[in-house]
Amino acid sequence: MEQFFQQLTNGLAVGGIYALIALGYTMVYGVLKLINFAHGDLFTIGAYLGLTLLTSLALTDHVGGFLGVTILAVMVMGLVGIIGILLERIAYRPLRQSPRLSAVVSALGASIFFQNAIMLTYGAKFYVYPQDLLPVMPVNIFGLSIPLMRIIILAASVLMMIALYLFVQKTRIGTAIRAAAIDQGAARLMGIDVNFVIMIVFFIGPALGGAAGLMVGVYYGQINFTMGWIYGLKAFTAAILGGIGNIPGAMLGGLLLGVVEALGAAYISIAWKDAIAFFVLILILIVRPTGLLGERVAEKI
Amino acid sequence: MKNRTWLAYVVFFAVLAAAPLLLGRYWVDVLNNVGLYLILALSLNVILGYAGMFHMGHAAFYAVGAYTTAIINTHYGVPVLWVLPVSGLAAALFALVVARPIIHLRGDYLLIVTIGMVEIVRIALINNVFGLTGGANGIFGISRPEIFGFRLTQPVHFFYLIWSFAALTVLLFSLLENSRFGRALKYLKEDEVAAEGSGIHTARYKLAAFVLGAGWAGMCGTIFAAQMTIISPESFNFLESVRLFMIVILGGAGNIPGVILGSFLVMGLPELFRDFADARLLIFGLALMVMMIVRPQGLLPPRPRKHNLDSIRELS
Amino acid sequence: MNKIAGWIAIFCLLFAPALFAADPVKIGLMGPMTGSWASEGQEMKQVLELLADEYNQQGGVLGRKIQILTQDDGGDPRTASLAANRLVSQKIIAVVGTYGSSITEATQNIYDEAGVVQIANGSTAIRLSEKGLKNFFRTCPRDDEQGKVATATIQKLGGKKVAILHDNTSYAKGLAEESRANLKTANVEVVFFDALTPGERDYNAILTKLKGADPDFVFFTGYYPEAGLLLRQKKEMGWDVPFMGGDAVNNPTLVETAGAAAAQGFYFLSPPLPKDLDTPEAKSFVEAFTKKHGHAPKSIYPVLAGDGFRVLVEAIKATDSVEAEKISAYLKSSLKDFPGLTGTLAFDDKGDRVGEVYRVYKVDGEGQFVLEP
Repeated sequence: MEQFFQQLTNGLAVGGIYALIALGYTMVYGVLKLINFAHGDLFTIGAYLGLTLLTSLALTDHVGGFLGVTILAVMVMGLVGIIGILLERIAYRPLRQSPRLSAVVSALGASIFFQNAIMLTYGAKFYVYPQDLLPVMPVNIFGLSIPLMRIIILAASVLMMIALYLFVQKTRIGTAIRAAAIDQGAARLMGIDVNFVIMIVFFIGPALGGAAGLMVGVYYGQINFTMGWIYGLKAFTAAILGGIGNIPGAMLGGLLLGVVEALGAAYISIAWKDAIAFFVLILILIVRPTGLLGERVAEKI
Repeated sequence: MKNRTWLAYVVFFAVLAAAPLLLGRYWVDVLNNVGLYLILALSLNVILGYAGMFHMGHAAFYAVGAYTTAIINTHYGVPVLWVLPVSGLAAALFALVVARPIIHLRGDYLLIVTIGMVEIVRIALINNVFGLTGGANGIFGISRPEIFGFRLTQPVHFFYLIWSFAALTVLLFSLLENSRFGRALKYLKEDEVAAEGSGIHTARYKLAAFVLGAGWAGMCGTIFAAQMTIISPESFNFLESVRLFMIVILGGAGNIPGVILGSFLVMGLPELFRDFADARLLIFGLALMVMMIVRPQGLLPPRPRKHNLDSIRELS
Repeated sequence: MNKIAGWIAIFCLLFAPALFAADPVKIGLMGPMTGSWASEGQEMKQVLELLADEYNQQGGVLGRKIQILTQDDGGDPRTASLAANRLVSQKIIAVVGTYGSSITEATQNIYDEAGVVQIANGSTAIRLSEKGLKNFFRTCPRDDEQGKVATATIQKLGGKKVAILHDNTSYAKGLAEESRANLKTANVEVVFFDALTPGERDYNAILTKLKGADPDFVFFTGYYPEAGLLLRQKKEMGWDVPFMGGDAVNNPTLVETAGAAAAQGFYFLSPPLPKDLDTPEAKSFVEAFTKKHGHAPKSIYPVLAGDGFRVLVEAIKATDSVEAEKISAYLKSSLKDFPGLTGTLAFDDKGDRVGEVYRVYKVDGEGQFVLEP
């Protein structure tokens, strides 16, 4: 039984990262109906930018671990957000009125471009974050010792999800985002600057991805230029699982995917872990064709 | 289809047939890859282009065909090309089983399910499922194909095998495009509800498109296995599916000349950029974005069908 | 018109040197320059270009310069077959590479039919040299050899209940299965045998399950990125168990990832590192490499590629020829105790490297790789 709970926390830690990346997928999808396949690579860029800033500014030496990493996170999120805005301007905006899959191919092109751009800028080797940026002290919860970093990751994911949810539900810009998500044409007629809304969305989504990249760097230590592909695919799976376009859905999907993977590895087979996760996804979609929290879309008549 | 298009195809394949005389073995091998992916992309085009189903897992069917060939050939010594129809059937059957429950999923949900399917197939192959697939090593020692006693070994031999099959594929799929079946698929892509209302059993048609595309990809797997003589799971990963997907969308979904152009670009460009060494994929990614932005409908989108009203009147 | 004139000028500039110099001796390098193993391929290129420069400064071979032609195999069999055809049509006389076994396998026939000598540097799968190909060699040892050494080492270190973890790559699984079979004949219990998914970051689920099997020794046959993460997360779990890796973990990134404290006491098998060889060749090579790139070679495989290149040049010099047949015959029968960067080199009739290659290394408290006596 202890192993079961241990695996549960293992799964939640992985799932927290998936959820954070999935939030970005879902934001962008909600408004543009675009699967941003370059999102995983924006996550990688976040990890690399974090490392560069960390080593060049030496913030953590001056202001201590927690504050340093927090400041760093804000900077990384800002920078990756700006890259996201540029990406939308250059690669997606010209395709907004085109068939949806055209933008998907453009996104795949952007993904290949980013991945290789990182490889050429930094080189193909693995990079490693400095050790022990944050204390690793284990926290004792119900007799399970859980590393502090995991709790921080999970808490940060949940906090960002809640903040995002409130932002979208309660603020004026959030209302505009929801309006643009439902009908861009009608939103424009209501005086909403749709381009501005999309810009905001393309700032927030990639920024969350960048933050996830930094977290992976700080916690797991090791980063390389291909890591965005696997995380991106898993996060996309998570977003769909929860019902894409739905913010709590992305969170739920991410955590569920992480737990399914951990329990699948523990009780069925490690080597088949990913296959099990995809199998569960397919089963869920067969039963609920629009994901767990996805809205039932009425068939047009 | 107009006579002019047919003429263009004849000229195109005639020029290609002469190409090996001028090209070295490397470029012939590049063309072999283009041809192989052209056949695969045409089979995907039935699902993605005509029927408009978001399918990003085509490599799974290709893998089923290739592995069927490899297993039957290495275990029972059946000549590779004889296995061609069996591989096609195996892939079609596989598609029938897996596609049935998921065929009703919409857009992006179908997309992730097909990605999941290709990943499950790859993981199964790596884990040596049923003890038949050889795990990560794959299956090696597949015999070279023979045609009337002539053994195909050189890239140029495969060139003629692959491109004959490609020409046949273009011919058959052009006929299909204009058949009742092809038109029904396009109709349900444009408006599923209206198609259903006009008496098209949409689920059945969609499933038929899946099975047909899968079967054709399975046969392509046979040719691939014969050409490489070794197959391993990494040849059938998600990235290969993505590549096929890009060919169809970039070229112009639902248009055969577009798919031909798409396969030359997606398979050929990274080779043209070979001299950029480690920057070649960077340039390729950039080129993909630029081409898509310049031609958002694909490079050669299908032209709207024109109907000659007189002929319709005559019929009625 | 101007444009055309411009292109002609560029072409002249590009090809002019070739018109004046004697035909260079072209040696191909096939390696993963893009994709997951790009770091290996790019370092292979650095090593070969450095060595070629050195030879060329001394006048090259046969009075001709050596030219290295690099092609990317992308770590994928289909791309590799293209790369091989490309190299063959560039008229290379021999090729060094590549890293992965299945990648090498996809190109063996192409080089064989074209009469090109191939010296693989990281392809350890047994079957590659069992096909009777005349012109195939490798500077790395085979999996069965390593399997034997691994079993002996595990027994020596006192493993009684061994867990074997691989990563489902062709190489790691081969080594894992080889070792499991050997351990069974040696009556050592294997309590765990499974594969992780390479390229992930979080292996806690796997470690938790591994710990549940209660082994007293863990043997991981995969690569260094995962090994580093496993060590780091194992320490975080507070689990103390002897850990050993195969020769694919031999890379300083392992210690960087895990941290010196977590990596301390980790064993691995490897051909000797250049730093542990006292030969003047190895010393001057590491020195020159460090001078040019700011660090010593990170992985052993590029150095093995360098050895492949050096025996090739030696064979060309000794036979005064660039014919594949003569070079192969020389490498198989006449080359004895050649002072390589990774120890003495010689090849048997199959083209496999002869001699005891493996050593046991242990990571010390500072994160250094120390040769076990």
